[in-house]
Amino acid sequence: MIYLDNAATTLIKPPGVSKNTAWAVAHLATPGRGSHRAAMDAAETAYQCRAAAAKLFHVSDPENIVFTFNATHALNIAIKSLVRRVDKVIISGYEHNSVTRPLQAIGARVMVAASELFEPEMALHAFERRLSPDTALVVCNHVSNVFGYILPVERIAEACRERRIPFVLDASQSAGVLDIDFEKLGAAFVCMPGHKGLFGPQGTGLLLCARRPETLLEGGTGSLSLSADMPSVLPDRLEAGTHNMPGIAGLLAGLEYIEKKQTKNILAHERGLIEYAADNLIKQDRVRIFKSEYGFCQSGVLSFIVEGIPCEAVGEALSERGIAVRTGLHCAPLAHKTAGTVKTGTIRISVSPFNTKREISAFTSAVEDITRELGASYPAR
Amino acid sequence: MVYYLLMCRSLTYAQRTAKILERAGITAIVTRVPQLLSSDGCGYCVKISSKNISNALVALKNAELYPVKVFVLYADGKYGEVSL
Repeated sequence: MIYLDNAATTLIKPPGVSKNTAWAVAHLATPGRGSHRAAMDAAETAYQCRAAAAKLFHVSDPENIVFTFNATHALNIAIKSLVRRVDKVIISGYEHNSVTRPLQAIGARVMVAASELFEPEMALHAFERRLSPDTALVVCNHVSNVFGYILPVERIAEACRERRIPFVLDASQSAGVLDIDFEKLGAAFVCMPGHKGLFGPQGTGLLLCARRPETLLEGGTGSLSLSADMPSVLPDRLEAGTHNMPGIAGLLAGLEYIEKKQTKNILAHERGLIEYAADNLIKQDRVRIFKSEYGFCQSGVLSFIVEGIPCEAVGEALSERGIAVRTGLHCAPLAHKTAGTVKTGTIRISVSPFNTKREISAFTSAVEDITRELGASYPAR
Repeated sequence: MVYYLLMCRSLTYAQRTAKILERAGITAIVTRVPQLLSSDGCGYCVKISSKNISNALVALKNAELYPVKVFVLYADGKYGEVSL
């Protein structure tokens, strides 16, 4: 299979990930639940993983790295710690449902700082003109999961800092690919999955905390057991219940791989593949790609449509040829509304360091064949 | 042997404390707090040899890490709190 759905989950992982995961299943108990070998080895593995994440994201204290189930879990904690009903919250026009749905559930007054695709200056302006003293929170994704658009989050965060407005970064598509300096950013929270660019197994995520969060779950932590309340200290405050140690051990291997490979090399590889795909697709009849003319504001994600042919039909035909892509709205209808693709959706490819130019070549050839084959059933308008 | 127990606010804090001490050349063992010494229920502490206590406290101060409490564990198994 040619796997081009890495924005959902990276499927091809560094070899250490499955090795660590299998080892953890057989050898690790739960951190903080005893002083026997299996518990202490689990504690050491968890600490190593926190320390590796702290190093990668420039977090001075590993205690402020919290394990979550995924980015959605982390975003729910961050948002629900900072927002109450009718609070004003500003978000970008490219947010995922993992941001918009918690805000909807709370009953927040959401203002969308909408701006054109691949126009970072306009994005900054859209945020700046909406910021006001009554803004409770700004949430912005680093990279659009639909278009690979890199938003100017450092500058948006700076604008928030100047006005003392809390800022939450959704790093779902950027963690492991772009540099994230938590200390410099000054964000209240940064949320990310472990199973995408960090190469951990599914069921892993990270929350980087600069503020005291509210709990989403309460339960045993192996600490301060006589208290009826959750501990106030991190990470215990947010880590009730048994840890996903196989996931954490796998995530550690993923973080070690990134440290060795370095994000700048990963980004360069992914951008090269996207450029190559775009160059091939743009020559094809009926294919419309969503590609930035400025390389600096697009990562390893490319959306496209084949005029007149439903995205799902193209996706299914690619799947029959052993090529995995994502089609539809990608759980981000807001991004499609902003970009004007909500009626059609898009076909999305998203690459990883394990994809090759040859795979991209096979994919673009397949799209050409499919357009020809399906074109008769779906004539061009 | 006489040991010191550096009480920590969490397991992760205890691990961080132990890493700093190891880096300073001090053997440090992360272990459960004896129930006798725990007023809040379960917790973790860092156990070090009595001969290293001064260097340990200096290393921790430099790293801005502060134990919640410090206990001395005597050879006969009795404990005493140490005021810093």
